[in-house]
Amino acid sequence: MSDINAQLTETPAAVTGGQGTVKDFFALLKPRVMSLVIFTAFVGIIAAPGTMHPWLAFVALLAIAVGAGAAGALNMWYDADIDALMKRTAKRPVPAGAITPSEALGFGMVLAVGSVLVLGLLVNVLASALLAFTIFFYIVVYTMWLKRLTPQNIVIGGAAGAFPPMVGWASVTGSIDLGSIALVLIIFTWTPPHFWALALWKKINADYTNAGVPMLPVVAGADETRRQILLYTLLLVPVTLFPALTGTVGWLYLIANIALGAMFIWHAWRVYRIREGQEAEIACKKLFGFSTAWLFIVFALILVERAIGLPSFAPVFG
Amino acid sequence: MKDVMTNTPFGPEDMARRKKRAIAMALILVALAVLFFITTIVRLGGSVAMRSM
Repeated sequence: MSDINAQLTETPAAVTGGQGTVKDFFALLKPRVMSLVIFTAFVGIIAAPGTMHPWLAFVALLAIAVGAGAAGALNMWYDADIDALMKRTAKRPVPAGAITPSEALGFGMVLAVGSVLVLGLLVNVLASALLAFTIFFYIVVYTMWLKRLTPQNIVIGGAAGAFPPMVGWASVTGSIDLGSIALVLIIFTWTPPHFWALALWKKINADYTNAGVPMLPVVAGADETRRQILLYTLLLVPVTLFPALTGTVGWLYLIANIALGAMFIWHAWRVYRIREGQEAEIACKKLFGFSTAWLFIVFALILVERAIGLPSFAPVFG
Repeated sequence: MKDVMTNTPFGPEDMARRKKRAIAMALILVALAVLFFITTIVRLGGSVAMRSM
């Protein structure tokens, strides 16, 4: 027994594990991403037709949040090698040595299984299945498969981040409706211009190049990325208006989104036109910042309409 | 007990971290129990009172 102890004493702490603090484990959950997931899932719950007991809505949100955190932890487990090569991610708990990869894997798996089970047992099976699919999509399809393979990684992988409002919606209705698909499509189409604006920053681009992650600016160049940002933005604006056709929103959302869409296009146009120097960098940063606020406002408008009791349009579809 | 502690490869800082993690784990388990209990009550709703005897 004393030999074992002697061996353990000589083994580096980072290898034996047990060094992570509660804060480190919380960081594994990617709390910023989690907050966006909670918000969009909440909007899905509020926008869905029908009613839900507030406590069950809270349970659904909690399970969705933990499921998103589990996906973040599993992502950090799998990507620890490339995270260590990028300045932006080198301080994450696994590459920093605070948490071992096996601890992150165990933590992520327990939370993933737990969140899916809780949602299935306490809310409904369809919402639970959708949450399981979302975690699977983010880890297997995006993290393990597409991220290191193709510059289209975030286009397809972005679907994982788009599903939470559908999970929230299904928690209320127990079904997949056109209204929830419309909300998913908004986040799905928003993801490429949002992340490519970030990927165009010199610092971030250098990180991806260094780690060998085939982000669009690394593989196809900055000019092509700018063109793709503009094209996806032009697609995003009409997609944002789909909830009006499914009877999910009313005139406030519609008018505000026409104005917000015009502003998004203007920012994307600036990124497209300004290609050199500090101004180009600033244009990318402004687009990234604006797109973050844009998504929040678009979804918040649905909440505002519900809060003030504004009637929705009659559905054309759905 | 103290002898066992001194024989382990973990120092006082490690033990403090472990203790905090254990407390967090205990709190989560208690919260889960409360979550299941309240949800059961909510889902049962008035059905228990309305049941035929």
